[in-house]
Amino acid sequence: MSTTREQLSGAGKAVRLGVTVAVGGLLLAGTVVGQDDAFPFGPFRMYATTDSLDAPVKSTRMEAVDTAGRRFALRGETVGLRRAEIEGQLGRFRDDPQRLGAVATAYRNRHPDGPGLARIEIITRHLALDGGRPTGEHHDTVDVAWTPR
Amino acid sequence: MSWFFAPVPLGRVAALRTLAYAFVPIDLFLLTPWVLDHKDVPGDLYRPLLIGRLLHLPTPSYWLVVGVCVALTACALVAATGRAPRLLGVAVFVLYFEWMIVAMSYGKVDHDRVGYLVLLAVLPTIGRARWGDTETLSERAGWAMRVTQIAVVCTYFLAAWAKLRFGGIEWLNGATLTRAVLRRGTFLSDWTVHVPYLLVAFQWFIVAFELSSPVVLFIRNERLRTFVIGGFYAFHAMVFGTITIAFWPHLVAMASFLPLERVRPIVWVRTRLQRRGWLQLRNVEVSGPRSP
Repeated sequence: MSTTREQLSGAGKAVRLGVTVAVGGLLLAGTVVGQDDAFPFGPFRMYATTDSLDAPVKSTRMEAVDTAGRRFALRGETVGLRRAEIEGQLGRFRDDPQRLGAVATAYRNRHPDGPGLARIEIITRHLALDGGRPTGEHHDTVDVAWTPR
Repeated sequence: MSWFFAPVPLGRVAALRTLAYAFVPIDLFLLTPWVLDHKDVPGDLYRPLLIGRLLHLPTPSYWLVVGVCVALTACALVAATGRAPRLLGVAVFVLYFEWMIVAMSYGKVDHDRVGYLVLLAVLPTIGRARWGDTETLSERAGWAMRVTQIAVVCTYFLAAWAKLRFGGIEWLNGATLTRAVLRRGTFLSDWTVHVPYLLVAFQWFIVAFELSSPVVLFIRNERLRTFVIGGFYAFHAMVFGTITIAFWPHLVAMASFLPLERVRPIVWVRTRLQRRGWLQLRNVEVSGPRSP
């Protein structure tokens, strides 16, 4: 078996080294001082926050009432936004609940033939923990509610 | 320096190229179909990332999202055959990057893509590569594999760093995994929240694993390296079983550590058929009319 070697020129190596150092530097900077906004160089913060063993676990969901009076859960595929995306924009929705009107528009875009939405609620469920173990108790709070103007 | 450009058989690149590009439609339609759902979301909910603002990228509209989806799928499927590796490779990288902008600009950024994005960025730099080529050792391919591997390892190592930065050292003894299991647990994991300190111990294990992951970059013995990477895959299988989260693109990029040039599914199928006499029969039929 004969093997051939394909070698890189000095310039080829230098360019590749330069690019590696630049991209690596950005990635490192993103981890040290960056936020998610710096994607793709942001910090790898999946599950990086610390949760207290005794504070309640929060779980967010959206519910809607359509013009026919039917109440149902707004899941990711129902409106085209994932739960995490709703949570990520929760502050904006709290500041101005009318922004949820865009979610109603998204629902309408995905369900053009059915009844529209008359009310949207963002609800947080607080699951009680004790020493890191669930106590089985929970309560819900309505964080933001929207009705068409 | 030679470590950085350590030559790699071109057959490895050919196999990884097929894997990486065939993964694109799987990602688009099976694993993260919610990205395409953004076509219906009004621009008011678009929160452009820094890169989107710097490059003045347009607010995704229905046709922009659908157009990128169609073009990306078409380019990736042809690129998976190894044709026009530079042109199609660049096209797939650019379109996939725009797809990521559409994905991550609505309030949630995922952190499982860096290795895969690096892989897509460097694949076009290698040029032609033939499946099963174990004889051409290329420094160009060596660098591409090395930087992909570094990006994969960074995903672990820098994740540990981010935990210390955002969660603090208390992260180790916190309830992060408890919270994850309560929110996304399965029958494989629901019991774990009731066992005292089990998930806390697992948090220590995760950080230890992430901090020691760079070692794999320096394992010269191929069998040992393949074995260790097998352990990495097993870790992700366990995470998937317990909280149904899998970093699929990351898992594709991690294949850059493996001797993929030896994986020859088409050759295996062909030899097996030949051994049973099926393929020869068909060959005769096909060549029959053409023989004088």
